[in-house]
Formats: sequence, C-alpha cells, structure tokens
Amino acid sequence: MMKFLKEYLVPRLIQYFFVVFLGLTLVFFVPRLLPQDPIREIVGQFQQHGAGLDAKTVETMVATFRELFGLSGSWHEQYWSFWKRIIRFDFGPSFFRFPTPVSELLLRFLPWTLWIMLTSTFLAWLLGNIIGGIAGYFPGRRWSRLLDVFSVAVRPIPYYTFGLILLIFFAYTWRLFPLGGGVSVGRSITFSVASLIDILRHSFLPMLTLLVLNGVGWYHQMKLLVQNVKGEDFVRYAKAGGVKPWWVISQYVLRNAMLPQVTGLALAIGQSYSAAIIVEIVFSYPGVGTLLYEAIARADYNLIMGIAAVSILTVSTLVLIVDLIYPLLDPRVRYR
Amino acid sequence: MRIGRLFVILLVGMVLGCWCAAAFAQPREQTLIHDMLGSVVGTPDDFNTWAGWRWPHRGLHQYCLEPLWIAEPATGEILPLLAKEWPPSYNKDFTKMTIRLQEGIAWNDGVPFTADDIVFTVELHKNTPELLMHGPIAEYVKEIRKLDDYTVEIELSKPNSRFHAYLLDRWGALRPMPKHVFEKIEDPVKFSFNPPIGTGPYKLHSYDPSGYWTTWVKREDWDKSATGKLYGEPKPVYITARDFASEEARILALMTGELDMAFLSVEGMKAAMKAPHVRTWRREWPWNCNIDPFVPGIVFNNLKQPYSIKEVRWALALAINIEEFMSVAVDFMAPVSPIHLPPVPAYEKAYFGPMLEWLRDFELDLGNGEKFKPFDTEVPFKLAEAAKKRGYPVPDAPEAIRSIFGVGWWKYAPDIAEKLLKKHGFYKDEFGRWRLPDGTLWTIQLLSTSDPGTFEHRTMLGAADQWRKFGIGVETWTPVGFITLNLLGEFDVSTTWTALEPWGAGVDLYRTLWPFHSSQVRPIGEYVANAPGGAARWSDPRMDDIIGRMEAVDISDEETTVTLGLEALKILVEEMPTVPIYGGIAFLAWSETYWTNYPGAENLYPNPWHWWPNFKLALPFLKPAKE
Repeated sequence: MMKFLKEYLVPRLIQYFFVVFLGLTLVFFVPRLLPQDPIREIVGQFQQHGAGLDAKTVETMVATFRELFGLSGSWHEQYWSFWKRIIRFDFGPSFFRFPTPVSELLLRFLPWTLWIMLTSTFLAWLLGNIIGGIAGYFPGRRWSRLLDVFSVAVRPIPYYTFGLILLIFFAYTWRLFPLGGGVSVGRSITFSVASLIDILRHSFLPMLTLLVLNGVGWYHQMKLLVQNVKGEDFVRYAKAGGVKPWWVISQYVLRNAMLPQVTGLALAIGQSYSAAIIVEIVFSYPGVGTLLYEAIARADYNLIMGIAAVSILTVSTLVLIVDLIYPLLDPRVRYR
Repeated sequence: MRIGRLFVILLVGMVLGCWCAAAFAQPREQTLIHDMLGSVVGTPDDFNTWAGWRWPHRGLHQYCLEPLWIAEPATGEILPLLAKEWPPSYNKDFTKMTIRLQEGIAWNDGVPFTADDIVFTVELHKNTPELLMHGPIAEYVKEIRKLDDYTVEIELSKPNSRFHAYLLDRWGALRPMPKHVFEKIEDPVKFSFNPPIGTGPYKLHSYDPSGYWTTWVKREDWDKSATGKLYGEPKPVYITARDFASEEARILALMTGELDMAFLSVEGMKAAMKAPHVRTWRREWPWNCNIDPFVPGIVFNNLKQPYSIKEVRWALALAINIEEFMSVAVDFMAPVSPIHLPPVPAYEKAYFGPMLEWLRDFELDLGNGEKFKPFDTEVPFKLAEAAKKRGYPVPDAPEAIRSIFGVGWWKYAPDIAEKLLKKHGFYKDEFGRWRLPDGTLWTIQLLSTSDPGTFEHRTMLGAADQWRKFGIGVETWTPVGFITLNLLGEFDVSTTWTALEPWGAGVDLYRTLWPFHSSQVRPIGEYVANAPGGAARWSDPRMDDIIGRMEAVDISDEETTVTLGLEALKILVEEMPTVPIYGGIAFLAWSETYWTNYPGAENLYPNPWHWWPNFKLALPFLKPAKE
C-alpha cells in the first residue's frame, strides 16, 4: 500500500497540481499579452454601433471601467488577487458582460454545454467503440464495409459544415427541429414535460452533430485496435480452447482494446470544447462555447480565465481519475 | 394491459403535441421578429443603459426608451420626440439652453413624464461619476432649473453651442430617466432597471435568460408615448429581437418565416432573396440600403513616415483604379464618395452640390508649375458599364446612375502618382518595385479586421490589390486587436471609417470634424478617443480655426454652418489625411409573410434599420400582411 502511495499516487497528484497551476498561470498571462484592451473593446461597441462619444465621455468611461474591472493595479498585484479569488471560485466580473460575475455566467451557460457535450461525447465513445469493436471483429461483413464507407465519408466533414447540413435538412426542409436556441422564443424553462421536450428538441441537432462526428472517430480507432488485438496469441488460444465467440469478443478482444480508448475519453472532454464552440454557433445554442468565442474576441480576461480554468480543472481531474483507475482495468499496470 | 396501452398512447400523444408546438409563444401574425446586430445579449437581466453597455438594440432603445430629439438619416431631419421643438433655444453667449417638453406623455407604468424627470436625470449624472455620460454633464452643467412642469433651463459652466448633442439620439444619447423609479434606488450604477420603465410605445414582455431573444408588448396606453402621440398607433402587438449566432441560421429563419427582418451580408441577402416572400430595401438591383451615414475607406497614420507627406497620400489615392476597387470591395453596390461625408439625403443639397463645382476645378500641384485636375465626374458611368458587363441590370437614366454609384471619384492616374512620389525621392527599382527615398523596399502594412464580411476587410482586399499592381508591397494584417491598434496608432495604414459618422441629419458637421482638432491628436502608443477620424492622427491649424468658429455659431444659423462645413471639407480633400471611398451600405432582407409596407427605397418614411432607436417611428406604418 505504501509503495502504491509513494510510487503511484503521490507523483500523480504532484503532477496534477503542477499542471493545474501552470495551466491557470498561463490562462492569466496569455490574454494580457494580446494587443487588445478590454475596456476599449467595450467603448468600441458603442462607437461601432454608431454612437459618437466625445473625448470627455470616452475618458470618463475608460477610467470608470478600469476601476470597476479591477485592472488598475500592476500585473503582480492582479496575479496575486487572481489566486486569492480563484480559490473561492470567484473570477470577478465579466468585462464585456459587466457587471455580471463570471461565476454566474458559468453557472448559467455551463449546464447547456455539459448537457450536449458530455452526453454526446459519452454516447459517441460508447457507440463508436461497440460498433467499431464488432465491425473490427467481423471486417468482411457487408454491414461492416458499409459502415466503413459512411465513416470515411463523414469523418473529414468539418463540424460547422456537418451541423449546417443537418440544420438545412432537419430544420429548413423537413422542419422537424428548430433553427436555433436553447428553448422556443417566448417560453421559459419550467419543470414540465412540455419544457423538457422543448429543451430536447433544441439540443437534438447539436448533439447529433457531435455524436456522429466524434463517433466515427472512435469507430475507426476501435476497429483498428480490435483488428490488431484479435490476432494476438491469447485470443487464438481462447478460440482454440472453445470459448464462446461473444465471450471472446467482449472479454478478450474488447476489454484489451478498450484501454487506450479510456485514456482517450478523458482527453476527448477537453477537445470537445473546441467542437462545442463551432456547433453552438451553428445552432445558436446558449452554451459556454459561444461565451468563450466572444470572450476571446473581446479580450474579456476574466471570462477567458473562468472558462479555461473550468476546462483545465475538468480535463486534469478526469485524466487523474483515469490514471488512478487504470490499474483496475489493466492488470499489467497493477503488477508492475 | 389496457390501462398500460392507454398510458403509452397518451404519453406519445403528449410528446408529439409538445414536439409539434409552435416555435413561438405569441400569436405569430401579431408579432414582428427581427434579428440583432452583433452578439447575443450579454446582460439579459440588466436594462440600465445609463450605467454601461447593455445591448440597447435588443429593443430597449427602439421600443421602450425615447429621447428628447432624434436624428433621422432617411429624411435628413432632426425630429423632436420628448421635446416639443427642434432646435433648443440658446442665449447669445451659449451659456443657457432652454428645452420645452411634450405634454401628455406618461411612463409605461402610468406616471406622467415631466420636467422633473429631466432635472433628475441631469443632476444624477452630474453627481454620479460612474454613469456613462457623467464626464460632459459634470463639465458643462452648472445648474438645471425647472421653469414649469414642461420647461427646463440648463445653465452651462462655460459656453457650448453644441450642448444639446449629448441629448440628441443618434444611436445613443442621454435619454431621460424615470425619476420615480431611480430616486428610490440607493445605487443607480448597480441597479438593473428590470423591468425597464420608459416612455416608448412598448414595454418588456419576456426575455431569454441566455440572451437570445427579448420580446416587447405594445402598451395599452401607447398614445401616451411620444411615438404614439406624434405618429399614431404602432401596428405589431409584440416585437421580438432575436439573435442567431450564425448567418446561415438567420437566412433559413427568414426563408421559413421565423424571422421578419434581417441584416445580412451581400451573399446572405442573395441567398434569402430566393424565397418569393423576401424583399430587399431596394426592390431592384443593387438591392442594398445605401443611406447609412458613414464612409469606409483608407486611413493613413499621419504621424508615421512616409504617410505624413501629403503627396504620398494623394499618390496612393490616385494609384487606385476605382472600377477595379469597387468590383473587389462591394461588387459595385455602393455609391462612391470623394469627400468625408456619406452621400445621404441630409448632405446632398448642402454639401455634395456645392462641393461638386469645387471638385471639378480642384488642382494638384505636381511641381515645376505642372497642375493636375484629379476629379472624374465620369466615374459613376464607368462603374455602371462595369456592373453591366458583370450582368447586373443597371438602369440607363443618369440620375438613377448617380443615385446608385455616386457623384464621382478620383481619376486612375498611376503616372501622376509616380510624379508625386518621385518629387519626394521615391523611385522604382529594376523589378518595378517602389523603394523609399532611403532605398529600402516600400511595404505597406495594411491593418484590417479578420471578418471577410466587414467593410474594413473588403476595403483591405481592394486597396492591397491596387497598390500591389502599382508596384508597392502590401502586407495585410488582420489581428484580433483591430480596434485597440487603431486607437493606439500602431499601424501604417488602416481600413476603418475615414471620419467620425456625421449625424446623418441636419447640416452641422461639428461632430465629424472634432476628431481632426489638434487637441484630439495623441502620440503613437496613446489612445485617441475615436478611431474614425482620430486614428489618422492628423490636424491642421486651419481646421482648428474652423472648429473654433463653428463653436461660436448657433446651429439654427444653417447658412454659416454650411459655409464652415464646406471650408472644412475642402481642407480635408486637399490634405487627404484619410481617403473616403464609398458611402455606407446595408443589406436588409424583409419577409412579407406577416408584415408589409416596410420603409423601402420606394417608400422611405423613416430610417429602415431595425437596430436603430429610430425604428420606433416605422412601427405605425407597418401593415399586417394578412389584412
């Protein structure tokens, strides 16, 4: 036990905290290196839309915002205050959406993203691996070859284009789903069947986009892994020993081929953020993706920090969890 | 078993019912739905537009709030709304301004609107540094007095003939606050003003907590709004401002009738027009709305060499073949403008007419006694020919051609541009590339936005193409910090607006000229107040003098105001600190499924842009399509 703690758990925990520290530090400094001033971006909003602000008004606005945003101190002071606040999950106010606190925005938008992102990522992983595994075991079957053609055709399509294709067919041509948003215009979310169905209708196409495009990726990887594993000696030995075929597939082939896919799942959560940004834009979906896109475009440091911090913590924690449960899945790691 | 089956049938029926339920909670034929310019509302719960950027175009400034006066670019007039008359009266030395107010107006909670609201608004702004308009109000207002329930007098701490500009709505102004609401609030800056109380004809109905839509409902006492009282009953019962994160979704929504009004790119407009019920601002080619009062073009950093040299700026203007440029930048769909004003109704008679005479005779001094007249009145006809060759149905009547393509622009004269450059020691090497007087290769770093749909980006493409053909290297640069870099002057040549947008109404150019005053110029690395005009970092003692003289003229003295404006425009042409190229355009697409009688080109009653505060004035004239 002590050996496990000393040689396995503690190094990984140290690594985990180091990655989180480094990630959050980068998140603090990188936006500040952009040639962009968040306050001027806000003043620019007034001006871009046609409001002519005279110099006096601009000067007052800039001074007021600098004070309100907490950008008046040095970088050193801001960095120190950043760590003090982050422990309380307080990222300060969003600049562009001032005075709304970043934590409030995360609480408002994150559930939407988590709903489509986690559901579609997990379903894509599950279905992609199961179908890929079976197709890999029976590569010569007609349905397996058809699936190959479909996945090869779909996989290179960018998220934006694929989402748009679904939008045109399902929302414009056949009008089965809405064109965008999280709920219907004029309706608010309530605890009712109608409200639940409304949410499902609006999230179906974004989810389907992520599910299909992520799913074919898992399908390909799993198929290749299975084709590799099924030629291993222990599989041949099991077959020769009269083990039932489905037992061979599930316990001998899939279980071994799954190991790299489990690690991949944790990393995929992080990658899904970038896909979610695109998909949420196509479907005007009220998630954190559109929030992040806007935050970067407007140099909203606090909002970038808030979203990135959640992303870093989520991915790092998931990787840590996978690392910790890996010995349970792979006896070779346990015995080493 | 039967009960189980019945339950399943009921469940399936309920799910299908909910699934097929209408996408809108309000009756569609009574609802006007338009898109939102820019991004989704970032502060959905907050309507306190006096304290910060609160996405006023979500309907707040179109339907709920009303100003004292409003600039109306469609007709070129300034209209009184909550004020009884335009213009306000000043005393002789511009230290007192008197405003008379409309009577019989009420806030949407029934409380009458009176002079007390104006006094409260101005005093609150004077005493609260965190409010957006605190700066100018604190600087200029000595005291505000209520003379009676419908008259106020503002005493200024120093003379200002343009103080009313802070109260004149042109996409923003100090609009009156409801005293009875704000006086009960401890902190007016943190107050969310939800629900908003305005004098406009609509009040808040509902909104999306994520900011994607906001719905307004017509007041039962709409006749107690200034809009209703002056222009009649607004027709839509509900109005929804809805955001779509992608243009494709907006186009599809317009085509399916989920959206009535949209602001699109040229490509988006062409796609939407395929639906038979979708119309554009102009029913025939070029379809776009060309009365948007701003002027895109080239902005030189006048504090940087070699752009501080007037002849270099002129050479770069003459190196542009305007037919090729307009083809690349706007597909021939905008009117060219040789002066720092957009060719909109307000300025046609007052400025474009007199300037045209002057431009015809205007000469550039090429040195050694040689002169060159750069203005070309044939440009509109050349553009019309080029557009015809592209297959567009261009009208033949000269007046129609001038209305679409403008009054003229600069000749394409690379030979003259060469003479102007050689005068200052520039030369071409053996490969035909221009070199600076010190022998280094001339490469222009051309700053713009990364969004290919913007005017800035399209201007960049057009200019880069022309200058490369002329033999100058051009590096296009589209960083995320476009606005910041413009304000800081960290560029050689940029593609933002060439002058601050004028009012688009009235004849006063003070607002447009002010960024060219020497007091506004900042060294590179320090922020200027306004990128349009200000980013050029150019000034001239003659311009300072004109601005000073303008300050001493009452705006009701239109003759003197125009004379001074013309003097200033001539200096800007001579010096060319920025190169105005074309008047602003907008591609508007309107579905006639539910509403008709939009303010199109053939029927232009008010400003047609649904994101402008003026749009409230169009509402009484819309007609339900089903009627």
